[in-house]
Amino acid sequence: MADVRAARRPSAATTADPAAPPAAVIPVRGGAFARVLIVTGAIILAVVALAALLAPLLSSWGPEEIDPNASLAPPGGGHLLGTDANGMDVWARLLHAGRIDLGIAVAAVALAVVVGTLLGLIAGYFGGWLDDILMRMVDIFQAFPTFILALAVAALLGNGTVNLIITIAVVNAPAYARLVRAEVRSLRELPFVDASVLAGSSTVGVLWRHILPNSLTPVRVIAPLNCGWAMLTLAGLSFLGLGVTVPTAEWGAMISFGSSDIVAGRWWTSLPPGLMLLLCVLGFSLLGEGLQERADARRRA
Amino acid sequence: MRILRFVVRRLLQLIPVLLGVVVVTFLLVRVLPGDPIRTILGPNATEEDAAAARARYGLDQSLWKQFLDYLRGLATGDFGTSIQSGASVAEELAVRIGPTLELVVLAVTTALIIAVALGIWSARRADRLGDHTVRIFALIGNSMPEFWLGLVLILVGYSMLGWFPAPSGRVDPETDLAPLTGAELIDAALTGNGPAFTSALSHLILPVATLSIVIVAPLLRSVRASALEVLHSEAYVAARTHGLPERVLRRGYLLRATLVRLPALAALVFGTAIGSTVLIEYVYSWQGFGQWALRGLLYRDYPVVQASVLIIAACYVIVFLIADVVQAALDPRVRI
Repeated sequence: MADVRAARRPSAATTADPAAPPAAVIPVRGGAFARVLIVTGAIILAVVALAALLAPLLSSWGPEEIDPNASLAPPGGGHLLGTDANGMDVWARLLHAGRIDLGIAVAAVALAVVVGTLLGLIAGYFGGWLDDILMRMVDIFQAFPTFILALAVAALLGNGTVNLIITIAVVNAPAYARLVRAEVRSLRELPFVDASVLAGSSTVGVLWRHILPNSLTPVRVIAPLNCGWAMLTLAGLSFLGLGVTVPTAEWGAMISFGSSDIVAGRWWTSLPPGLMLLLCVLGFSLLGEGLQERADARRRA
Repeated sequence: MRILRFVVRRLLQLIPVLLGVVVVTFLLVRVLPGDPIRTILGPNATEEDAAAARARYGLDQSLWKQFLDYLRGLATGDFGTSIQSGASVAEELAVRIGPTLELVVLAVTTALIIAVALGIWSARRADRLGDHTVRIFALIGNSMPEFWLGLVLILVGYSMLGWFPAPSGRVDPETDLAPLTGAELIDAALTGNGPAFTSALSHLILPVATLSIVIVAPLLRSVRASALEVLHSEAYVAARTHGLPERVLRRGYLLRATLVRLPALAALVFGTAIGSTVLIEYVYSWQGFGQWALRGLLYRDYPVVQASVLIIAACYVIVFLIADVVQAALDPRVRI
């Protein structure tokens, strides 16, 4: 790829990551539109999170409680959204699942940001062989489609909440490492860093006070988008039986468990959990898109 | 000539990358917890049975010897023997890869066409109702779990409307389609089997639609952003001010300049699509490469996992190579 010259560079920068900011476009009323996106996304997520927290108050059944008199009961009657093949209340499971889905996704992205940022800081600031080794490792990780990588890591670690958080974090951390490294490399050359070094700050002090805060700008935009993606990955793993398994309430596992009902025309076991996933991921996407729009608007101003 | 030299050089550069993949996968599958021999023998097997089976698959040899044997096999196109089925991995692979490639290539092509058409349409109406509608629909499509969308399409298209066949298999077996490439649509066309062609097509529509809906959003966003940039570039504004006809403007000035950035992203999306097919094949019982690789992974079938990882990595890097060549063809500034 070394031969593809300068003309390639701007496009490579904008297309290498689908979540990367779109190229600066003409000035549109960025501020107001961005606020609409951010507020809508935040409201969606707040409602889902609140519903998950208050789940026991909002449903009369427990998430794993079996109603022996009702298996695959249609919506209505004693069960607001019907029951699944185990006789568990779909509505109760739907609400409770938000805890595990939102929890794992946010925790995994937080872990990925911390680990990726740390690696990026080290690689970018010190450079040299350390940088080479770390970046080649990142290259290997990024040579595979992310979901395939997640499948392999999940098979390696096995399931369980902590292992799933680690799996999704491992798959995402390399992207953050690369992002932060690029920022750090350009920040390192700026005068205020030299000034801080000359003033006698320790390396850790410079990194912590000057480099880190400034290098997190792109991370702040990508992280919400990434949370949505993490949720889809978790649900996908659960769907294939490599993530959370029934009877634990999790949206992907619920969809998987109800998938045989779909062919028989019973919609209530699989449709609602997918809609919840859609809603959450959309919330994260709107939030991310809004933050991006605002960052673009600031850059233009 | 230049392009040919570039392609050959890039293909040569691929060898060390793929060799690295071979080494890493070989070691990693053996680190996976779980024993492939135990999964085929069942719970009642004795230690002697296990040892005999291990010897049959060469798993009793030293790691170094196993690796050399594997490499020697690879050099002659032999991917080893599946521990689960006992069949040649290369033969299983040949049967499985066609249907999956058919699905992915059709879906990515469909998504690209939709993205280019709608993206340019959207950019010309930037910030008006049509533009916002398109963007919101793309965002929703991108937020859906692909396996769930597949189920919804089955619910509507099969269970409720009955327009499409049941989600099991790729072609109606009664059409007696003779397998050639494994890609049913192509096989039917090659053998002139009309009923098989329609059957394969009707089986393909839902999975292809599922995959394209999920992957269209990033492509659409990129096309829209590029088109907006072109529409406001000096070259385009100058051309329009000079009164060039609409057709020339669109073909010569807008389309090509907009497409320049697409190949690299399309290659990336192709990778995402490979990941998604594992889920989509599962939903539609497609019995393709994705399901095969997943089962290999779950049963720790070493030769199958090694072969599928190698194939995915090879596909991925070759698609990026194609993307670079296409980009060079589109963008006169890029020299290869």
